[in-house]
Amino acid sequence: MMIWSIAWKNLWRNRKRSLVVIVAVTIGIISGVLLVGIMEGWINQRLHDAIYNEVSHVQIHNKEYLKNEEIDLTIKNYDQLTNGIDSLKELAGRVNRTRIFAMANTPWANTGVIIYGVDPEKERQVTEIYKKIVPGGGRYPDKQSPADILISDKTAGLLKLKQYIITDGVIAKLKEERIRADILAKLEKHKDKRFRSPGDFREMLKQEFNKRELDKAGRLITEYALDYRLRNKIQVTFSDLRGTPVQGIFRVCGIYKTTNTGFDQTAVFVNAGELAKLYGGGEILNHEISILLKNIDDAGVVRDKLSRIADGNAVMTWKELAPDAALMHDFMIIYYFIFIGIIMLALAFGIINTMLMSILERTKELGMLMAIGMNRRRIFQMIMLETVFLTLVGAVAGMFSGWIITEILGKTGIHFSGWGEGFEAMGFAAKVYPVVSFGFFVFVTAMVVATAIISSLWPARKALRLNPLEALRTD
Amino acid sequence: MKILELKNVNKIYNSTEVKVHAVNNVSLDFEEAEFAAIVGPSGSGKTTLLNLIGGLDMPTSGEIIIDGTNLAELKPSQLIDFRLNNIGFVFQSYNLVPVLTARENVEFIMTLQKWPKQKKDERTLELLTAVGLGDRINSRPAKLSGGQQQRVAVARALASRPKFVLADEPTANLDSRAATNLLEIMKKLNQEERITFIFSTHDPRVVKMAHRIITLEDGKVVSDDNRE
Repeated sequence: MMIWSIAWKNLWRNRKRSLVVIVAVTIGIISGVLLVGIMEGWINQRLHDAIYNEVSHVQIHNKEYLKNEEIDLTIKNYDQLTNGIDSLKELAGRVNRTRIFAMANTPWANTGVIIYGVDPEKERQVTEIYKKIVPGGGRYPDKQSPADILISDKTAGLLKLKQYIITDGVIAKLKEERIRADILAKLEKHKDKRFRSPGDFREMLKQEFNKRELDKAGRLITEYALDYRLRNKIQVTFSDLRGTPVQGIFRVCGIYKTTNTGFDQTAVFVNAGELAKLYGGGEILNHEISILLKNIDDAGVVRDKLSRIADGNAVMTWKELAPDAALMHDFMIIYYFIFIGIIMLALAFGIINTMLMSILERTKELGMLMAIGMNRRRIFQMIMLETVFLTLVGAVAGMFSGWIITEILGKTGIHFSGWGEGFEAMGFAAKVYPVVSFGFFVFVTAMVVATAIISSLWPARKALRLNPLEALRTD
Repeated sequence: MKILELKNVNKIYNSTEVKVHAVNNVSLDFEEAEFAAIVGPSGSGKTTLLNLIGGLDMPTSGEIIIDGTNLAELKPSQLIDFRLNNIGFVFQSYNLVPVLTARENVEFIMTLQKWPKQKKDERTLELLTAVGLGDRINSRPAKLSGGQQQRVAVARALASRPKFVLADEPTANLDSRAATNLLEIMKKLNQEERITFIFSTHDPRVVKMAHRIITLEDGKVVSDDNRE
């Protein structure tokens, strides 16, 4: 116990030097916690969105459909398979979908899409797309209006269904947001003018406002002036069961936006029954069964169970369907190691330097301790404890501060507005909510202690090699 | 009772171009409760002899036997433990642990020896009171005068009841009053505790109080005068 007490007291001999190292450790740990928090926040968000917006936990398709994606390649033995699915104790919900590749047209543009024929009510039990309707973006499809189509903000842009209008309402909202009067006066000049593309609107803003004004108000003006052309018609064209091109008209009922632009760019949702009228045959085609489980960890088990009764169908888990999310999920621990490893390496150098200086200053005292009977094991223990204390004080302060900062930012979120589009193209939200798990703190603590022990080896070895007699002669 | 025996001890340094015979064929015996001073001019080998006796340095030839144990037969790690249990040290420049209080400095060796807390507390208080620092037990060395620090060092050296205490020029850094005071305390403890004190010194006050005076010249014992 005495050794612990001396080690602790030795830490404060050169208060300023120890504090510099402690502050460095604290800042290092805060950075590590924050970086990993952001990373984990993103990975959790991507995983959640991949499962609840895009692929669920398990999906089933006809094996041939995965290769050719032809309209007639529907799920085999559908009734037998669904009976099997419904009897799963792990099941939280399931939906079946029609999935057809088509061309979508408006009078102004066209783009390729994947039409999902769904039962909107059932779909709500499995996916969260219904929660992703943008402000002013209408509503989720329902059975009362069978010809509805739900498209994404991205698709709306591609089909030129996004326009920008400065109305009295927009100016009033901007006023509420305390946008300066001179900015509002410039906007008045463009009142009720229709800008048919984001590019045109951006061009107008650039001409009217300088960079500072745009930085301050540009985002809000664009957000409020955005007006989706809801109830507009979209014509979709695809091949029916006989291979003959068919066309159908749907009306835009709503605009959604997920964090994955890649998904948004192609996925449109219509009532399965209405879609069936177009391709003929009298019944709804099931190309896809999406299964939501109570627990994500059961995905593998459920896949194995269903594979036994799949009979020509492919059963895939979210890991196969969204490999990017799976990869990130699986590699989280490697990110931890890389981030924290770099921080620990930097800290180790600082700690070794400080401890070596401390040993050099105390050569005579260490010689005296050895002379009066303090053995090498105890000397080693003392130096090691000093190093561990020095590191742990900073680490505890760093972890506590990092935890507080992460808790706050986890509620407010961090908006990477400048890089939003880039992030969303990769499936990440522009606004991230950092989160740090308890496991991470355990991991960091273990790493800090390991770093401290390893860092103490060199200074301790130097102390052990002292000859007591020579050490006593130093000044 | 013989506690320390030096038989034909030599120490030769070869580090410089010329061989230095720092201790030359010294044979000495020390009994329990001696108060002995090793005197001699600078370079006569006093400190070297003390280092050899304390097991901090090893003789080139000869034997040093403490309470029946030949130091040459001990491994370095055993030698450290042997010093802990058998020898007390008082250094010229006090060498207290600056971050510990007077009490903690005295307790230190007993803690290394794993004494029970109560016994340790009693012994510490007893010694610090004996050296006149009963009221300063919680002071750190920086708050004590040179004389007071050296008195703490004496208390530390005696704490574990060693076979003998080696004191290398203990009064060299002290003023006259502090030196006399320290010597009186050491003499008193020597008699009360029956622990042998061996000094290396130039100080005539130490010489005056010593019962036995060993004079060294060029590493050789030229006189061994027992006044008792």
